[in-house]
Amino acid sequence: MLENYVILPCNGLDKCAGRISGQLAIKLSENADNVIICPVFYRVSETKYNKLAAERKLLVIDGCRTQCASKLAAEKNLKISRKIIIADEAKNRNVELTDNLRIQEKEQAIIDTLFNDLNKSDDAAVTPSGDELISYDFVYETFQVGKFIFRIPKNKEVYFNENDCWAYVVGNRARVGVTDYVQQNLSDILYFNPPEIGAEIDQFGELGEIESSKALVELISPVSGRVVAVNETLVQKPEMINENPYELGWIAELELTNFESDKELLIGFDKYFTITQKRAEDANV
Amino acid sequence: MSETTFMGVERDKIDWKPTLDYSKCDYCMECVKFCPHKVFEVRENEEIKLIVKNPHNCVVFCRACSKTCGPDALSFPDKNITTQRIKEIRKETESNA
Repeated sequence: MLENYVILPCNGLDKCAGRISGQLAIKLSENADNVIICPVFYRVSETKYNKLAAERKLLVIDGCRTQCASKLAAEKNLKISRKIIIADEAKNRNVELTDNLRIQEKEQAIIDTLFNDLNKSDDAAVTPSGDELISYDFVYETFQVGKFIFRIPKNKEVYFNENDCWAYVVGNRARVGVTDYVQQNLSDILYFNPPEIGAEIDQFGELGEIESSKALVELISPVSGRVVAVNETLVQKPEMINENPYELGWIAELELTNFESDKELLIGFDKYFTITQKRAEDANV
Repeated sequence: MSETTFMGVERDKIDWKPTLDYSKCDYCMECVKFCPHKVFEVRENEEIKLIVKNPHNCVVFCRACSKTCGPDALSFPDKNITTQRIKEIRKETESNA
């Protein structure tokens, strides 16, 4: 059962997805101890809602990909525990949203489905952790540009793609994450959307998202494989990616399916260090 | 920031850029505000007010702008096909070296 949340819907009145977001929030608040944030009132008066957001977990319900509710949460510096986008959820379920602004049978069916799914997923057990027997000991080389320090792991087991994601490969398994370049560019990370356990990811496929008040970054997997663990702690504490994106801030672990082929398009420490240092210096100009 | 190569391949040989579906685009310009690489250009006084001006500035495999697009008007090439093509170009370059 999803409860003890504060729910921020976009509540967009001129789009079907926005109307659904508002009604879903109402249903979630009627059936358990959840409280709704009115996005309009929040714009003009934040005391009440800031207090609630500090006491409870935050669920953001965006209607469309413009993600007004997420942007509002970022502006208010709120940490998002869970987030859904109605348009994406409808698409995943092969439901085409209309221009209808009234909640009718089809819209109600989506609301009911999402209500059930949100409650079920919140009951689900905590994601299994990675194989504790594998130790990931990082050795870093650093460089500094302005006030920013960049750590790059120089272990030979660590590979990088040019999308600033790393993979620490041990046998047929890899732990993956983003590099310091990503977290320094984003600054304070407020949201982590993890990949699903069991998902089959292609090399350069999407491995979740992270978001700050500055930008959203799609995590581009350096390796192909099946997701066997995700760092669930980041859902509540995404700022750990800022603290150390290699150790506490790792993203996921994959069982590798085609690493010999993946390696062709990966680079090691020397090359990644050179490329990143140059980009950081160019960006600082 | 424009990259001249990606994975050792000249950027302009890699087909990776957003394509705009003008039948869906409502010119909200969220993608323009989002993309720091100046891939898009706004043309205030034209009938078509937004174009993909600098396709080779687009970071290969990044599709993040499409996630800011309310009307879902942005699409990208198939990642697997692009990956395969990059590998082929690298092989061609190596064999010509």
